[in-house]
Amino acid sequence: MPPFRDDHILLIAPGSTWTLAQLGLPESFTPAKFRIPSRMFPGVEEGQYLPNKIHEVQEGQELLLGNGNVVTAGPGGKPSKKRKVGEPTSKPSTTTQTTTNGSASTANEAVKKPTGDAKPAEAKGDTAMADAADGAEPHDDDADEEGNDEDEDQEMNGTKDKDEDGADGKIYYDDDFDEEGAIWCIEQGRIVNWECFFALLLHVYEQINPTFHTPILMISQPCWTCTDKERICQFIFEKIKAPGFCMMDAAAAISAAYGIPHSLVIDIGYEKTDITAIVEYDIQELGRTTVPVGGNSLNKHLQKLLPHLSEDEIEQLKHSNICEILPPGIPIPGEEDIERDALLLPPEISTVGMGGVLPPKAPEEEGNEEEEEGVTNIAAIVASGKTQEYLAKKEKEKADKRAGLAAGEKRLPNYKREKNTFSFVEKVHEQALGEGKEDNPVEVHDGEKMDVDPAPAANGEPKSAVDAPNPSGADASAAEPQTNPDGSKPDGEPAKQGPSLMESMFSGTKDDDEAKRAQEKALRREEKKRQEAAQSGEKRKEIEVGTERFKAAEGGILEALADAAHRVVSSVDDISKRSDCWDNLIIAGNGCRLRGFKDALVNTIIAKYQVSPSSSGMFTSEIPSNIPTPSGTGTNTPQPSAYSSQQPNALLLQAAANNAAAAASSHHHSSSAHYPQTPSSLKIAKIPEYFPEWKDAGFEECVFLGAQLGAKIYFVADQGLNKGFVTRADYNSQGPQAIHNI
Amino acid sequence: MEAISALVLDPGTNTTRCGFAGEDTPKTCVPTYYGIVPDPETPKYFGSLKIGENAVSSVIDGMEIRNPMNDGIGTSQLVHISWAGLENWEVTTEIWRHCIEYKLSSRVEEHPLLVTEPIWNPLKNRERTTEIVFEDFNVPAYFLVKSAVCESFANSKPSSLVIDVGHANTSVTPVVDGIPLRKGRIHLLQSRVSYRPFSHNLYTGSERTPLAGLHLTTQLRHQFSEMGIRMTPWLMLKSKTTYTDLTNPPQLRLRDYGFQPHQSFIEYQQDRFIHEFKESMSETWAEPRSFPADINNPGDMLRPMAEKSYEFPDGYQRRFMLDRCVATESLFNPSLSPKPFTGDTPKGIAEMIKDSVDHLDADIRANMLSNIVVVGATSLLYRFNERLSQDLVAMFPGPRVKLQSSGQTPERKYSAWLGGSILASCGAFHQLWISKQEYDEIGSNIIERRAK
Ligand SMILES: Nc1ncnc2c1ncn2[C@@H]1O[C@H](COP(=O)(O)OP(=O)(O)O)[C@@H](O)[C@H]1O
Ligand SMILES: [Mg+2]
Repeated sequence: MPPFRDDHILLIAPGSTWTLAQLGLPESFTPAKFRIPSRMFPGVEEGQYLPNKIHEVQEGQELLLGNGNVVTAGPGGKPSKKRKVGEPTSKPSTTTQTTTNGSASTANEAVKKPTGDAKPAEAKGDTAMADAADGAEPHDDDADEEGNDEDEDQEMNGTKDKDEDGADGKIYYDDDFDEEGAIWCIEQGRIVNWECFFALLLHVYEQINPTFHTPILMISQPCWTCTDKERICQFIFEKIKAPGFCMMDAAAAISAAYGIPHSLVIDIGYEKTDITAIVEYDIQELGRTTVPVGGNSLNKHLQKLLPHLSEDEIEQLKHSNICEILPPGIPIPGEEDIERDALLLPPEISTVGMGGVLPPKAPEEEGNEEEEEGVTNIAAIVASGKTQEYLAKKEKEKADKRAGLAAGEKRLPNYKREKNTFSFVEKVHEQALGEGKEDNPVEVHDGEKMDVDPAPAANGEPKSAVDAPNPSGADASAAEPQTNPDGSKPDGEPAKQGPSLMESMFSGTKDDDEAKRAQEKALRREEKKRQEAAQSGEKRKEIEVGTERFKAAEGGILEALADAAHRVVSSVDDISKRSDCWDNLIIAGNGCRLRGFKDALVNTIIAKYQVSPSSSGMFTSEIPSNIPTPSGTGTNTPQPSAYSSQQPNALLLQAAANNAAAAASSHHHSSSAHYPQTPSSLKIAKIPEYFPEWKDAGFEECVFLGAQLGAKIYFVADQGLNKGFVTRADYNSQGPQAIHNI
Repeated sequence: MEAISALVLDPGTNTTRCGFAGEDTPKTCVPTYYGIVPDPETPKYFGSLKIGENAVSSVIDGMEIRNPMNDGIGTSQLVHISWAGLENWEVTTEIWRHCIEYKLSSRVEEHPLLVTEPIWNPLKNRERTTEIVFEDFNVPAYFLVKSAVCESFANSKPSSLVIDVGHANTSVTPVVDGIPLRKGRIHLLQSRVSYRPFSHNLYTGSERTPLAGLHLTTQLRHQFSEMGIRMTPWLMLKSKTTYTDLTNPPQLRLRDYGFQPHQSFIEYQQDRFIHEFKESMSETWAEPRSFPADINNPGDMLRPMAEKSYEFPDGYQRRFMLDRCVATESLFNPSLSPKPFTGDTPKGIAEMIKDSVDHLDADIRANMLSNIVVVGATSLLYRFNERLSQDLVAMFPGPRVKLQSSGQTPERKYSAWLGGSILASCGAFHQLWISKQEYDEIGSNIIERRAK
């Protein structure tokens, strides 16, 4: 078998909300190039899944196709005429559709034949109607044949672009914005709908369209069972026909990204958090746990506190600058908070927590601000002239107000304000905007897009690469600002909001002049955004919230995570390594992006579990002579020794040996002693500095960096010598179980 | 395609472990304790079950923590939980299922299953297990193996005197050529074909006592409360304030859940730091001089005991010296227990072993004494094996007493599982599996015929 090449390797990291993917290992490892929502929609046929929601085009409706053609549906939804509009756009994802009237849009909600475990039943009534209409339609032979194929083949078909004619001759169009009826195949890490999951994998695969020589590395969720892994392995070899495949555990990948031998990995996801102790690159399988709280728990709690806000509003509030968790000692403005006072720690401990451990990331904040421009994106829908007018007027009003504010008011930092506002960006649905606009499909010019989509943001690149109707990368952030994990999109107006606590702490030296300039700059930026928004069909509104914005994590999530972390470390068999785990705490996953969250978690652990150093050792003055050294009988207290049961990690161990050598040499405890209580200290592991591309994107998704490191070792450096991956031959001889023998 | 690997299940009294045959550690280890929340909607278990590490550590209104090995009694009084008292089979089934499906396989019905059992397991339990495994799990093949046999194999010895210092029990079992020693030393083949009703004293020299991990927990809890320590567990606290003066403790910063968790839950949570205390503080007295009966008046000690400090969850720091050894001493010398026994005081661990050896035929005694295998997580107590060795040497001055005990923690904790894993993956084991078909023909009694 020829050796695998760097640029042929496919990496896939399926998650509950996003699936990250990338083809090739770049010279310098980058954040994932593809971000694809982990959901599919029921297709036209039974068992078929599509990456976007599809609607049947109703009679008289017009549809702008990716190639610039406009199709008008005739009776029964069959295409009646086609015409060409303007120059072809290169982005089918911007497929635009206008409706003839308001009532047509409701009928559009109907999902054609929702299959599988489609959850929502909302559109059922409409669906039934649509189905009935279908029944009258003569089907092609083609379609029937397809229908008889086995499931997985249908899944494969499911990812084909159905923009033009459906199998039954009708016209369907993709709706990038409609999430209704979506099937999310992964819940809390578990694969809950296999058909849909496989369709998603195929979709990812076809999007990227790699060569035949492409081996695949997949990040596996800690909760996947051995049977799950076998099923995936089987699919990869039998359907995708990859020449090589391996799985890397998410926690292993995260710790590999950090390049440290011992760690405690807290991976905070959407609705779950995986907590894993790693000793000598070896996952401590027995003690690891998955707690059913995650980033969404924060939303739920905020929602409880702010019942009048919508789900989207809550999500954007969470991502905004004004939502943060204040460190102990900083009172919530306007609240005599005895509870928080009580939480204050004795000075020596809190220094450990705040000072030494966590250099607050001022540069990261700046990075976010810069990104805002890049990430802001134009949607596919273009507003009608009328709407534009309306929006522009609104904008002006607001801008005036803001200018007044800027001139007169002193900037108060967020943490000192009892109330603060964030700006909520609402996607205006095409139907609403396009109302009354008949027979006049509006075309999206490439030029326009370029205008508002400057220097590609960290994850903006895929736009050119993704040649499909799927929101990914920057497109995705336009479609779903509320789920943009880097939180930069909804960060509305820093000038108005005032700096977050971190910002104000680290920009204290700014003089007035500078501040003014910054403000002006921000204003200009906003103005620009506003214009973009007007064009892109975004609606902005200012929402004011009170001190609830400091309380997102008060619903018990911190305690739950802290306690689980303590249980996980307490289950590490090699007691001597527990303190090493505590000293290398890794908090990853997009669930921890809320400002101040990581610090708050560390502080919670310290407040409850950290023991003072005197309890973690013997009193030196009284060190006795009667502690025996182990005698030759072998009957003493077990000596901690590397107990490795997992092969793949041995590879990582080798690879990381060079930079770990220094650290490892100092860790040779004398084994006769009793190991003390832990944690006596707690430190967040240092983010490695030699991956510049990751600086701006944030290290929350470092699991993908680990995937690249892993792929490099397993597929390129090692070439299978140490059985780091399953080859086609292995699969042929051992079957799906081969995945366990690597 | 390769054969589907067998599953190995080791249901201990503290944790239940499961994994694939051929591997060197189990894949899952879930508490055998479970939570039950009263719920009139689910009459089956008189409430909804909470199984697994996270579930039993969640603060839920009204949730009671129980152990299926002895249902209905608060954990602190569980002096004698064991398979013998196993009452709640429905829950046990659920725990096993959780264990298997959690990380191993969603398809229990595809794997042969090997289960370990203690030597004193009564026939009704063995039959019940067989039923569960074939009826509820629908496994293709199954076998029950005595955990002592597994433990002996895990230590690479077909013949040994196995001492398992576990959670609810400490047991001693002579194993000869891979089978527990029986009265009259019936040959393996014979015993497989002839049917006999189960009776405990079929086995020669096997003994057990409750002087084990749970006993230690009970003693430590008692010791702490006698000292006046507030044993508020982590989950009940918001934060701690460190202090050393017990007479003037700072106010507790309690976490308010809006309800008072069940007492059994609080005790189960206390067990967490008591367990930590066992690991990092407890020491077994292994000095030539015997342990002073009154630790406040230790008399003329040859050397001072190392003083160590422990911090309780509420922030109380205390220096422990000789009192680190009090609870562990009661394993060997139960009359010194901080908390007196309600009934008869049992014999200490060393004495129990002596009883066992005294029952053995003279011709194998020497062999057994020079092949003592010590397993079970409680044997991890600091200097436990030294003490045991010391006592046994004193009891048997003539023959050579030799203890073997793995130096690696997982091998000690999971030795029964590991032995099962070795057995189930060895080729010769094939002929032992009881198939579903055999079960269908003969019924649950097949276990008594095929697996002695
Ligand atoms: N390092 C240790 N030192 C002392 N006791 C321990 C240690 N580790 C575990 N234990 C105790 O061992 C007991 C569990 O033993 P185990 O052999 O697993 O029992 P079982 O097989 O009955 O479940 C628990 O009571 C636990 O507190
Ligand atoms: Mg046991």
